Amino acid sequence: MEALNHLLAGFAAALTVKYLLFALAGCVLGTLIGVLPGLGPAAGTAILIPLTFSLDPTGAIIMLSAIYYGAMYGGTITSVLINVPGEAASVVTCIDGYQMALQGRAGTALAIAAIGSFVGGTLATVALVAVATPLATLALKFGPVEFFALMVAGLCLVVGLAGKNMLAALLMTVIGLLLAMIGVDPVRGAPRFGFGVEELYDGIGFVPVVMGLFGVAELLLAAEKRQTHMIQADLNKWMPTREERRASAGAIGRGTVIGFVLGLIPGVGAIVPTFMAYVLEKRVSRTPERFGKGAIEGVASAETANNAYANAAMVPLLALGIPSSPTIAVLMGAFIINGITPGPFLFQERPELVWTVIASFFVGNALLLVLNLPLVGLWAKLLKIPFSYLCAGVLIFCVIGSYGLKQSLFDVWVMLGFGIIGYLLRKLDFPIAPAILALILGPMMEKSLRTTLEMSGGSFAIFLDRPAALVLLAVPVIVIGALVFRPGTFSKLRESDTD
Amino acid sequence: MILRRRTLLAASAATAIASPAIAQNYPRRPVQLIVAFAAGGSTDVGARILAAAAEKDLGQTITVVNKAGAGGQLGFTEIARARPDGYTLGFINLPAVNTIVLDPERKAAFNMDSFIPVVNQVLDPGLIWVKGDSPYKSLKDLVDAAKKEPGKLRACTTGILSDDHLAILMMQEAAKVDFRIVHFDSGTQQLAGVLGGHVDVAFDNVGSVVKRVQSGEVRGLAVTDNERSKFLPDVPTTKELGYPTVISSSTRGVAAPKGTPADVVKVIETAFLKAINSADMKQKMDAVGLALKPMAGAEYAKYYADLQKQAQKYTEWALKMR
Repeated sequence: MEALNHLLAGFAAALTVKYLLFALAGCVLGTLIGVLPGLGPAAGTAILIPLTFSLDPTGAIIMLSAIYYGAMYGGTITSVLINVPGEAASVVTCIDGYQMALQGRAGTALAIAAIGSFVGGTLATVALVAVATPLATLALKFGPVEFFALMVAGLCLVVGLAGKNMLAALLMTVIGLLLAMIGVDPVRGAPRFGFGVEELYDGIGFVPVVMGLFGVAELLLAAEKRQTHMIQADLNKWMPTREERRASAGAIGRGTVIGFVLGLIPGVGAIVPTFMAYVLEKRVSRTPERFGKGAIEGVASAETANNAYANAAMVPLLALGIPSSPTIAVLMGAFIINGITPGPFLFQERPELVWTVIASFFVGNALLLVLNLPLVGLWAKLLKIPFSYLCAGVLIFCVIGSYGLKQSLFDVWVMLGFGIIGYLLRKLDFPIAPAILALILGPMMEKSLRTTLEMSGGSFAIFLDRPAALVLLAVPVIVIGALVFRPGTFSKLRESDTD
Repeated sequence: MILRRRTLLAASAATAIASPAIAQNYPRRPVQLIVAFAAGGSTDVGARILAAAAEKDLGQTITVVNKAGAGGQLGFTEIARARPDGYTLGFINLPAVNTIVLDPERKAAFNMDSFIPVVNQVLDPGLIWVKGDSPYKSLKDLVDAAKKEPGKLRACTTGILSDDHLAILMMQEAAKVDFRIVHFDSGTQQLAGVLGGHVDVAFDNVGSVVKRVQSGEVRGLAVTDNERSKFLPDVPTTKELGYPTVISSSTRGVAAPKGTPADVVKVIETAFLKAINSADMKQKMDAVGLALKPMAGAEYAKYYADLQKQAQKYTEWALKMR
């Protein structure tokens, strides 16, 4: 009850004109960061920190949080419209979102993403209010051992549910993992697989690879077809039909749960929940063959999980002072610079501030919805630009994005190289998403496995001692075992195709 | 690659010739300050406070750029390779720089001469800490437990050959015990690891957990320094507890890449030193639990050289164990 009183007081503060304006400014700036590729939420937030120095701490935090959410949503727009994820968490949205855009349903895809983001974000914040501290403490039990098991489960599910392309998906996963090995050894610190190329010292950049595999490859494919307009869209019909709403409702619910739960665990990152939610949605769907071909549930689940994750990730930060992702770490730095130390004592020491900020999470999520729904038509209009112009624009966008990240020309070549590779892979009907997932998860997987083995003194038996890890590892074994030994079990899935 | 190196050479030659003119005009555009650790960590927090203060004196924006990875090696490489024109500076963390240089397997693209140590900002002594409700109430409890079960107690670092790793080695040597060493990437991971019960004890720095020790969430067993930390007056030092050889800390300061003109270095030194010595800086750093230790010029250069000798012994030892 006391929490509720605090929250109401928080709302009273968050709804003042001043703080509303801060939240609004944050949402707009964040959306811009999300739209610009190469400028991820972490870098974007860091750059904008000085902007908040002249504000009071509450206002600064409200604005920075809004920037963070805005960026999480902004990445969706480019994913849907031009198949270029503006930030990592939007990779999954490309899969069905862009297909929807090709079918002239870009507006609907953006609308359902905005609605899903709002629902996921709001519900996650409700859960944050209700159970922040006990949940965060529980989530700490999830250590390197369980973490590794989770990653293995995630990768295996993506492969196992790839349908008739299972072997190709497995191959792509392994290629992704191999690419992830390039760079500095995460424990010994020794450089490896760089072949003396200094630029490879830091590994292959994720952003240029994704932009190449998705964006540039798409341009090459589209150019082949000699389209004059990339997409013919009916811009007045962006509101999802009743059928689409019904299909999305379940996806939004499940996406919220997955995003929230994974958001509690430090270090998971925004992309894992979106993949997990997508894979689950395909698994429970009666028509999994629609996935990858413009299924609205695919967009709804990924985008909902993305925002539920973003809000849930605030739980370990506010309750324990543990940032669970690089972006949250930047946010935490901003908190500290503004004189606020996140952690278990924040709720006692500065209740008025915490609750105002939490209330502003609700306000921010609502603002994003209000801001984005009317703009959906405007964004979708971009697709009316003649293909030749749009194509050049997208290519410039990709070059700037891949260069901007590290000011490295090498990354631009990587992006173009992977564009050609992506084009060939698409021609050969190889799925791209498993390689990307493996590329992102690879370093985290390797680090957690090696930390696990340091903890056990080199013995793999540690996985048997930890029930949660054991359960997580059992899931992929069962799924893949069933696929291999009893091909009939998932027959309907095998007809489908994950990209 | 060859082309790039040639351009760099040409650029540095041009800088050397044009240096007097550069110093008069320096700085004419924003300055980058590379931090070799992730945003939100204690190096980063200190650097951001310093950048915000020093840019007033420097008259140009100072942008903090995080280049985290490989225990700082990526960021240090970036600093060493930067064009020596005063527009790219970096935070060097000691003894992290020393140990990277000393480990041949890391194939460091820099050596101790690659940096000009300009101004030191922070000296953060090591802290040995456990969870607030841990059965180890004192360093003695921990040592006794480690003696009972050699190689079983999990002690975590913030990275291989970090100051925390060296502190564990010093402790093992001094108390004749053996820990199972787990390498994490950051103080944040250590916190999650210890609070989640995945590791037993963390070797870390005072600045990372000072608030949590004060609140009782974690328990400080010993500060690895000659004198007590002003932030944790109740936590004994390793020296008091009979381990005078277990002295380890992490220092962070601003360095410029080799070849930066001396008069430009002087401008940087003046601006940063003034910022570090300001009352505002002290207040802000106190708030985040970071102890200031301003060192510049010859004093910082001597510290830089002396530390190399101390780090050498333990690095060699660590390499032998690998």
